[in-house]
Amino acid sequence: MNVERIDAYRWRIPRQGGMRTEGLIFADEQLMRDLEGDQAVQQLANVAHLPGIVGPAIAMPDIHWGYGFPIGGVAAFDEAEGVVSPGGVGYDINCGVRLLATPLTLAEARPRLRQLVDTLYATIPSGVGASRSDVRLARSDLEQVLRQGARWAVEQGYGDPADLEAIEANGTLPDADPDCVSDRAKERGKSQLGTVGSGNHFVEVGYVAERYDERVADRLGLGAATVTVFIHSGSRGLGYQVCDDHLDLMLKAAAKYGIALPDRQLCCAPLGSAEGKRYWGAMNAAANYAFANRQLMAHYARRALGTVFGEATAQRSRLVYDVCHNIAKHETHEVAGARTRVCVHRKGATRAFPPRHAELAPQFRDIGQPVLIPGDMGRYSYVLVGTAGAFTETFGSTCHGAGRRLSRHKAKQLARPRNILKELEAQGILIRAATRATVDEEMPEAYKDVARVVDVVDRAGIGKKVAQLKPVGVVKG
Amino acid sequence: MTPYRFVPHTADVAAELRAESELGLYQAGVDALRNLLVGTSPVRSLEQRPIAVRGTDPTERLVRFLGDVLYLYDTERFLPDRVLPLGVSGEPFDPARHHALREVKAVTYHGAAVVPDGDGYRATLVFDV
Repeated sequence: MNVERIDAYRWRIPRQGGMRTEGLIFADEQLMRDLEGDQAVQQLANVAHLPGIVGPAIAMPDIHWGYGFPIGGVAAFDEAEGVVSPGGVGYDINCGVRLLATPLTLAEARPRLRQLVDTLYATIPSGVGASRSDVRLARSDLEQVLRQGARWAVEQGYGDPADLEAIEANGTLPDADPDCVSDRAKERGKSQLGTVGSGNHFVEVGYVAERYDERVADRLGLGAATVTVFIHSGSRGLGYQVCDDHLDLMLKAAAKYGIALPDRQLCCAPLGSAEGKRYWGAMNAAANYAFANRQLMAHYARRALGTVFGEATAQRSRLVYDVCHNIAKHETHEVAGARTRVCVHRKGATRAFPPRHAELAPQFRDIGQPVLIPGDMGRYSYVLVGTAGAFTETFGSTCHGAGRRLSRHKAKQLARPRNILKELEAQGILIRAATRATVDEEMPEAYKDVARVVDVVDRAGIGKKVAQLKPVGVVKG
Repeated sequence: MTPYRFVPHTADVAAELRAESELGLYQAGVDALRNLLVGTSPVRSLEQRPIAVRGTDPTERLVRFLGDVLYLYDTERFLPDRVLPLGVSGEPFDPARHHALREVKAVTYHGAAVVPDGDGYRATLVFDV
């Protein structure tokens, strides 16, 4: 694959073969070297083959080998000519991140951190097959979850109405159509609301270690040494099944509409087709499930804070923001000098709208959209805000995390003679996990250094650093 | 045991399957999937579950069959052992005897291909974990 360097942080894949547009990768030299030997760059070139793509196929610096789209991929499609692809969203629809800021400083919390991590582990089910016995959804409840997302959860008493203003799209995507979600998907999702899952999902207690923009950090409630709770999860089995169901339909649709696919996982349908509309209704419903899922987990995180530090701490723990990083959305962007409606797919990428964007809640209008970038469980995570640069260059998108650099097999090999739990505890990071396998596969060295990823987006102008968070306790699935 | 082997993949898990027949490929895929879910925990054929083979070509049929096996585990905690002509045999997950290793989200179509290989077939699959 021919790749040309543009500048210190940008690389171009020129049009070649059946590509309808070029590829654009944000990365420094080291991150590009990390891509050697896997198929992420080829996957980005494959995305450029899809009909109706507008602008380049874009990869963020945390790009890595996925299935269909690379993880860290962004692509926009013309509403009239373009397609929607489940492979451009991923199985975990509206996988995303939520950040709570507590009223505690690290010094105040430290004496009871172990109790807090243990309580979070007991309160928020994690791991394989995790389900909640205290949240039983009747079929009519599930319909409302799929229609209303986080709003349903708040109306049921899981959280505060003010939370909704700090969630992307206010936690409810109006295009959701529960009738487009199969019974199989509903069956998979009915007992998993309010659970973390496994793999790279987590609940993490951390603190504000560095502040790069004090004004914005203060506005977000991220004072120096503020204790935070980070939640990473998505739409659980319901979302996986929605994706799976529609891949089957999209394979047929791609053949029906004469769309040549360089990879079956990129199967898709025109946005205006019956198949495209059906996926759209189901995807938005699954995304609402994910918003409700994180809303419930945040509620139970507050309950844990209340149990350990008192009810006032729970009540004063504010939602900083909640972002999606696996989603497709209809948005207005400037394309070739004209404001154009496009469907932006973000798979392992975060929306990063700039200050003054009309879709931002009033409290974020002057600072831009908060962007939450988790790292690995041993180093740090970041809070950024969206920028005008992202809006003009990446359809208002930026990175979503560290990105894996080692396969799970390689990570387990490296971890086998070591005790990762003890190593992290010696660094002051308490880990609670259902299995050792997860901890080994998720060891810090398995990931790129998220500081490098974030520095690239900051220096390239597609995100602006606000604060760095360091972990002190992690609950893994 | 029908042969399968895991091959390097950065974010997820890829497996290469080999068998003399299409049904044999299903068994290799089931063995790989069970290994991901519960490792080498022994699974007995105590019960059966029907699975309708669906799809227009061997690759699609294999991916969908394994997707249905995964669905049984996710909703019923049913662990697969043997592939039958009309489904799978296996047993319910028992925490006393089975060690749950990880969640598998899906069997993907990424790079999936069933190809002739000597007297049999070979396939590569990526599991989203």
